[in-house]
Amino acid sequence: MRNTFVKELLHEAQDRRDFFVISGDAGLGVFDEFSQNSKDRFMNGGIAEQNTISLAAGMAMTGMKVCVYNIIPFLLYRTYEQVRNDICYQELPVILAGIGAGLSYAPAGMTHYSIEDLALTRSLPNLEVLSPADPQEAKACARYALECKNPIYIRLGKTGEPNLHPNSELQITEPLILKEGEDLTILFHGSIGEEVLKASQELSENQIEVQVISLPQVQPLNTDSLLAQIPPSQKILVVEEHQKTSGLGASLAQKVIQEKLDIDLEFLSIQDEFVHHIRDHSGMRQHYGIDAQGIKAAVLKIREEEIAFKR
Amino acid sequence: MKTQARQPLQIPNLQEHSAEELKILSLRIRERILQLAHRSKSAHVGSALSAVDVLSTLYFSILRLEDWEQRDIFILSKAHAAMVLYSTLVERGILAPELLSGYHQDRGTLPAHLDKEVAEGIEASTGSLGHGFNLALGQALGFKRQGIDRQVFTLIGDGESQEGSVWEGALFAPKLNLDNFTAILDINRLQGYGRPDEICAYEPQKDKWEAFGWEVFTVDGHSVEELKAAFKTPRTGRPRILLARTVKGKGISFMEDQLIWHYYRVTDEHLELGLKELQTEAEELKSSIRAFEENEH
Repeated sequence: MRNTFVKELLHEAQDRRDFFVISGDAGLGVFDEFSQNSKDRFMNGGIAEQNTISLAAGMAMTGMKVCVYNIIPFLLYRTYEQVRNDICYQELPVILAGIGAGLSYAPAGMTHYSIEDLALTRSLPNLEVLSPADPQEAKACARYALECKNPIYIRLGKTGEPNLHPNSELQITEPLILKEGEDLTILFHGSIGEEVLKASQELSENQIEVQVISLPQVQPLNTDSLLAQIPPSQKILVVEEHQKTSGLGASLAQKVIQEKLDIDLEFLSIQDEFVHHIRDHSGMRQHYGIDAQGIKAAVLKIREEEIAFKR
Repeated sequence: MKTQARQPLQIPNLQEHSAEELKILSLRIRERILQLAHRSKSAHVGSALSAVDVLSTLYFSILRLEDWEQRDIFILSKAHAAMVLYSTLVERGILAPELLSGYHQDRGTLPAHLDKEVAEGIEASTGSLGHGFNLALGQALGFKRQGIDRQVFTLIGDGESQEGSVWEGALFAPKLNLDNFTAILDINRLQGYGRPDEICAYEPQKDKWEAFGWEVFTVDGHSVEELKAAFKTPRTGRPRILLARTVKGKGISFMEDQLIWHYYRVTDEHLELGLKELQTEAEELKSSIRAFEENEH
């Protein structure tokens, strides 16, 4: 989805002279053509992340639309204060395109994972956050980001995610229903959608029909449009490739209390720990129980508890 | 809070100021700083006083401000010295003088560090060190890429330039051909709790910046003549930095080069003594201007 996002972004912005890309010494192959053909609109910001973010903010202050592209920890963690003060505090519509969402870089090691990025973004009130599930959503995110008047962060995976939607004509700020079902709702964001859909198909074979909703816009969190898709009192299982304490599930739980929402929430996410396991991406998902089998097991357990409760 | 679109400012056109006139302006700015620090009981008076002559030279002699929409930009990166910016903006007719009474106050008008939303003329929201320098570089790059002829200036502190972000910017600016960019390094040789060259391998600054490919000028940061000459030197295609040798607390004898005046508060007694010194100096300057003019006639 990373390449699809960049391709769409560069295609849509091809005639915009105000558009500029700064890559954090990342994106081999992704920016080759653009950096050759549009030398005056591309810069390798080098391994100087603080400077890169402030530079992007300064350019935005002159009216330019700047996209900064980097691996998430170097885009957001290293530069948290630059993102906070220079971009968000000054309300500048910079695009922060982060790659390697969740554990997608495994087994690169903890320094390269981003399983707590939403903890940081939650503390930045002007920032919009999009977490696309597949290349189609990534395309829609690119078009939205170019027009967005707020600072925006896109939480991208890497490459090879399958398409879950038939096309990219999507209302990216709305909950997107991928499968209908009455027994339970699985709400997710990001590339874990592939595992969620697989689990839901296997559950169908067991006569359990779950509704599957992708929520690309995790910030600001629009609970009205979400609740419109969920029958009252139905259980929601939030699945995400993110730490439990600070992800979409946690944001939603806070909303449930604040807005006294009639929602019964369960979470399936990564436990809060520094990752020392050496597994590849799918192995990591399996380890943390967020792969298709883990999701299926979680749904079956919820169903069993519901049946036991009714007895 | 997002302020509504503001009207472009109409600010007074200036005649070319003589060095003596700039010095008198600097004294007025120092008076305002002293009064602000006294009324608000706030810190950083020493840091503001060391930068006065740089700002008076910029705002009254260098920055092109008359066409406000296309004005040159000054970003105060060492924003703990905000009092010098507020006072200079008032003196230049950019900031309404009544805003000063709400500096550093409960339900006030101007915070101790900068928030560009509070008033026109404050170009960037700075305060954490090592941000404004790079924001200014970004603005210079933005103007350059869009073919817009606007100059960008930023003032950084000597303590501030220990930030890694400053050196990241120092590495990249020469590659970007930012000949519309000028940094001024306020070398007052005192930071919050020590002298830069005592706590790190601070010097030689000139060699460092030159090695990075910058055009470097070493100037007396209190000499409006030297500052003006450096600012007006024709550009050579490289980013420029002025190493401004200054004195912390400049202009108030008992504050000069004293560590305590990074944080100390200005009491009634300090204020009275300080104002007296500034007024005496202003009188002397004025009488020497008069003597000079009489000689000319």
